[in-house]
Amino acid sequence: MKKPLIIIALILASLSAFAAGEGIVTVYMPSPAGLANKLAADFEAKTGIEVQTFQGTTGEILARLETEKANPVADVVILASWSDGLSMKESGQLESYTPANSDKMVPGWIDEDSMLFGYSASAVGVIYNTLIYPTLDADWAELADPEFRNDIAIPDPELSGACKDFVAGYVNAYGWDTFEALAGNGMVVPGANRAALEAVTTGEVGVLIAGVDYNAYSSMADGEPLSIYYPESGTVVNPRPAMIMKSAPDMENAKAFVDYLLSEDAQKMVAEAYLLPGRTDIQFDNRSTLAEIPQIECDWDAMMDISSSAAARINELCER
Amino acid sequence: MKGKRIFPAALIIFLALLIVCPLLSIFARAAFPDGHFDLTSAINTLKENENASMIASSLLLGVLVVIVSSIIALPLAYIFSRTEFARYRFFDIIFMIPFMTPPYIASMGWILFMQRRGLMQQLFPSLAFISDWFFSLGGLVLVMSFHVFPFMMTMMKNAMLSVPSSLDEAGSVLGIPFRTRLGRLFMPLLTGNYAIGALLVFVKTISEYGTPSTLGRRIGFSVFTTDIHRYATVAPIELGKSASLASVLIGICLLIWILQNYITAHRTYSLISGKGGSIRIRKLSPAAKGAILIFIAAVVFFSMIIPLFSVIASSLIKLRGYGLRAGNYTIGNYIAVFTEDKQGINALLVSIFLAVSSATITAVLGTVIVTAIRNARKSIGNIIEGISLLPEMLPSIVLVLGIMLFYNGIYRIIPIYGTIWIMVLSYVILFLPYTIQYVTSAYSQISGSLIAAGRICGAGPLYIFMHITLPLIARGIASGWMMTFIIAFRELVTPSLIAPTNTLTVSTYINRQFEQGSVGKGMAMAVICILFSTVSLLLLNTVINRKKT
Repeated sequence: MKKPLIIIALILASLSAFAAGEGIVTVYMPSPAGLANKLAADFEAKTGIEVQTFQGTTGEILARLETEKANPVADVVILASWSDGLSMKESGQLESYTPANSDKMVPGWIDEDSMLFGYSASAVGVIYNTLIYPTLDADWAELADPEFRNDIAIPDPELSGACKDFVAGYVNAYGWDTFEALAGNGMVVPGANRAALEAVTTGEVGVLIAGVDYNAYSSMADGEPLSIYYPESGTVVNPRPAMIMKSAPDMENAKAFVDYLLSEDAQKMVAEAYLLPGRTDIQFDNRSTLAEIPQIECDWDAMMDISSSAAARINELCER
Repeated sequence: MKGKRIFPAALIIFLALLIVCPLLSIFARAAFPDGHFDLTSAINTLKENENASMIASSLLLGVLVVIVSSIIALPLAYIFSRTEFARYRFFDIIFMIPFMTPPYIASMGWILFMQRRGLMQQLFPSLAFISDWFFSLGGLVLVMSFHVFPFMMTMMKNAMLSVPSSLDEAGSVLGIPFRTRLGRLFMPLLTGNYAIGALLVFVKTISEYGTPSTLGRRIGFSVFTTDIHRYATVAPIELGKSASLASVLIGICLLIWILQNYITAHRTYSLISGKGGSIRIRKLSPAAKGAILIFIAAVVFFSMIIPLFSVIASSLIKLRGYGLRAGNYTIGNYIAVFTEDKQGINALLVSIFLAVSSATITAVLGTVIVTAIRNARKSIGNIIEGISLLPEMLPSIVLVLGIMLFYNGIYRIIPIYGTIWIMVLSYVILFLPYTIQYVTSAYSQISGSLIAAGRICGAGPLYIFMHITLPLIARGIASGWMMTFIIAFRELVTPSLIAPTNTLTVSTYINRQFEQGSVGKGMAMAVICILFSTVSLLLLNTVINRKKT
């Protein structure tokens, strides 16, 4: 007797899916790829809106947006760098919107114009290979000591948004001395986040500074010989902004996707991917909490101004 | 008879649109930065310190690779044409392997092998000092030479085979010692061929993107191709700079092509006339034989075993942190390629689609073009042939950049930019020359008397084509299809420059996993890619050979 009911429910559900919004939403999002795919699939299942994703590093996403200026494609753009998000806002590319559940977000992870929605966040730390260094708790500056000579790597801040924000925040607070000393100590730039993590995992270098934490937690869960800590003089926690493009070909779907990112289901997936969820009411125990991470005082406007040139400077310093 | 004139003209216009317009849009982009003619920005680009030094290092790389690949290829060419080893045809197949392995995969293999605490140091910790040396210009030259040497080897082997032993015997009868004969007789006859081979290796080296984009990037060594790519894809995008560099590269390639034509006309000797001369095989002493075997083994070891071992081993390692260690092996990476997300399987499907569609289109188009060339007046035929072979003379990154600029510009008329069809188009342009060459050589074996016989029996042109010509050139078309299929399957330049959102091919999937994902998964896909091309080569080869009998 229940069968007809189920069929009716199914028909209704599919009808409502059609009504809610057929069509597509194009989302540009950075790693982790697994999370991006899961979010896209779940959103498709819930709304019937097809998600076209372009996955790349923050640098690649910005480049893609620039090439497509004449024919905009993206509806929603997610970056791993808050300062890059702020500069997109400054150049007038973003649409203001108040998503559902925005009241439950971590204070400060949504900007005052309601254009940047930090639906998740990562922090960078020191990731080290435990086969080479059984324990380590050196502060940033101490890693320039001779014992770490030629054994330090940093992700390319021109590719990794998280690293870029950290460099900007650290330089803004403490100046260039530490990075200059590290570069003088033979620090290398193996590539974006994953390539840098690969270098410390295989032991090509023993220590990775400014490595994003969620990658490290996930490798550690796989059993790789790695460990991570946040040095005592502090790090930068950077909310990863999701933004609606003013030029979005499909504005309604874009807003629906941002609403979805702040939904409880999406936020749980964020936490499962070892990222810090954007809402305060999501519980997790697979990584350090926000309160446990020592932070540098962040002046995001000042950081936005210097972040790109600082990132370029790191690459110059480390050039062999 | 009107159709006879209109068709070639239409074909020329079509090919010009297809191939020449994209190239012109590069020059346009470089020389007309704001809509009016202005070379200053192009010249300023070239004057920039980093670009000037990049051009110098590109040319240096080309020269060094020519030298090193000559050192590898010349002895082998001699061994396989003039000594007992010429009989072992099996080496012909062995030396196809470096060619079958895409350069980006081979250099990833080398990186994984050589890097600090990498595979080599895990196997032989005492060899650690080699690693520091390897990640330098020297290592890059070595890896590129090991990829390109079979090319020169084959050319020189064929040239040496065409020098009849009678010349050498004449010298020997006159009492000239072996060394003098080698230096005064044998080598001068081959200088023309060697010059052509060296120029081709040089062009191939400065046109190559795969190795510089992996190993070159690792050591901070920029060349033309990587800089053109960087200016066109990484923020801040500077297409003008990219186009200026591409224009210079086009100039260099055309210059070398002219030089090569000059040498072909003036410095090669026709040694085969009338009755073909015989080749006398040199008997070898056991010691010489041993030395040669060691040399061959060393070349095989460096050009094939190291990169393949490294790629396969990396695809089987479970936890990267523990490396080569008992119990740390898994086939999980292969399973993950297919099951973890849709990306892996989609990349394979996209690559197969691109390979099949571009191979089929070029087979049809190439046959039409060659048929038109043979039926048109000589001057018209030369124009058609010249345009359609242009893509082979130029680096693919330049052509793809041109395609990108041109179709971005005419998006309102032909909206294929940003879709998969622009990739199909680009593949067709890049690989058209292969089909043309295969079909042309098949055509040249058909005697005119067959066609005449058909005419006498009253057959029309279409009937003759369908029943006489086509069956005879079918093998040529099939070989062209096969070559295109294999090369298109692993093509890297097109997808890394103009792939639409969300579209990965096998090559970009491997690259992405290697750079930003799981190296194990990337290398698993690399093994799949190599297996796929090798198996399809063998399969198609047997099918084609069976057709013959």
